[in-house]
Amino acid sequence: MKRLFVISAAVAVLAMLPSLHSQDRQTKGKPDPSLVAPQDVDKPAPRLPDGHPDLSGPWDGCWKTGKNGCYGGGTNNDMVQDLEMKPGELDSLLQPWARELRAKRKEKDEPYVGCLPEGVPRVNPYPTRIVESYTAKGLSQLFILHETGDSGAHRQVFMDGRKHPDDNDLFPTWFGHSIGWWDGDTLVVDTIGYNDRFWLDGKGTPHTEQMHTIERYTRPNFGTMLLDLTLDDPGAFTRPLEYTFTFKLLRPGLELMEFICLEDNEYGNAAGITPADESGEKEKRKEQKQ
Amino acid sequence: MKANRGIMLAVLGLFCLAVPVFAHHGFDTEYDQSKKLSLTGVVTKVSWLNPHMRIFIDVTNKDGSVTNWNLELTSPNNVRRQGWGKNDLVPGDKVNFEANPGKLVESRGALRLITKVGDNHPLFVRGGPEAEQEGYKGDSSK
Repeated sequence: MKRLFVISAAVAVLAMLPSLHSQDRQTKGKPDPSLVAPQDVDKPAPRLPDGHPDLSGPWDGCWKTGKNGCYGGGTNNDMVQDLEMKPGELDSLLQPWARELRAKRKEKDEPYVGCLPEGVPRVNPYPTRIVESYTAKGLSQLFILHETGDSGAHRQVFMDGRKHPDDNDLFPTWFGHSIGWWDGDTLVVDTIGYNDRFWLDGKGTPHTEQMHTIERYTRPNFGTMLLDLTLDDPGAFTRPLEYTFTFKLLRPGLELMEFICLEDNEYGNAAGITPADESGEKEKRKEQKQ
Repeated sequence: MKANRGIMLAVLGLFCLAVPVFAHHGFDTEYDQSKKLSLTGVVTKVSWLNPHMRIFIDVTNKDGSVTNWNLELTSPNNVRRQGWGKNDLVPGDKVNFEANPGKLVESRGALRLITKVGDNHPLFVRGGPEAEQEGYKGDSSK
């Protein structure tokens, strides 16, 4: 019981620290048990037979915790927290209509609570893998796998030198159309053709179909993958956004698991909430812009 | 002993206020964070389903009636990654637990902590890396 009291006291101290709102998922100086051991983090990044850094993972993109959820490898529940923005900073980055829409949106209406995908650059709270796919023609495709199953199982990145389709063949989708290439030890993923249905965070930060992202992935050491993201959407933002996110390698033995979000999604039942039909929101926004 | 346990729960509760329950949506929308209930009951079902696992527990009320509580945790995958296996909690187990009640349906709660009766080590502590560090099995802060 004395031991429990000591634990309690330690937890109490932690709970009162302001830094708790943005801290690693670890306490008392001990490492996070779900991540690769600290003594292995700074070892060299392993390489694939083709000489490129092995980016396969699995990677944890939600290793930081804050009052509005976990984050690290991307935005999640709140861009202001997740990008460590100053008060008013996000408002200054959003076009007026987007600022108003964000203020009006409610969490219960976000597509993700209904098991729809989060899109880019949101990172789901579960692990991610990057898989290079070799065919007789060499490295033809690359897949970014997310554990969220039916809420967005994979992104497909064409690595065979093709270009984005012409506008006539570009249909807006949750993850858009991605082409990629290696720039030295950096994997570059260029994506257009996003739909505007997903939210950039759980607070309802909107975007438009003009959104264009460029992701630059590097693995500076064994335990870390960095993502330098450029998000350009003149329809919703006043300037391109540039942020660096960090993924951490899961410890050996931990893998992606099956996750079928719809099998028992009871969101809202405890509070009598009915998630809204997102499909009507786009039309409302068009009316606002006119 | 009882008092110390109460202190522990209260302090863990304080910690939990600053830590998210669920990975991909907030806690306040569905559950009443201002109410914390400590109850004892018998597990009737452990549901390892996505997106969030649930534990169902029969609690006998003061008037003798029985309420089957439906308690939400986090993703079963996250719980498994912390080392909790399917035989670690099974129907028939007597448990002490703490929960925040649902805003409309009280017995649909968010599980804060669960411990088998007679065992001082919680199986699950919401937002509790401390629990992992001390060798408990349970949730991470995801």
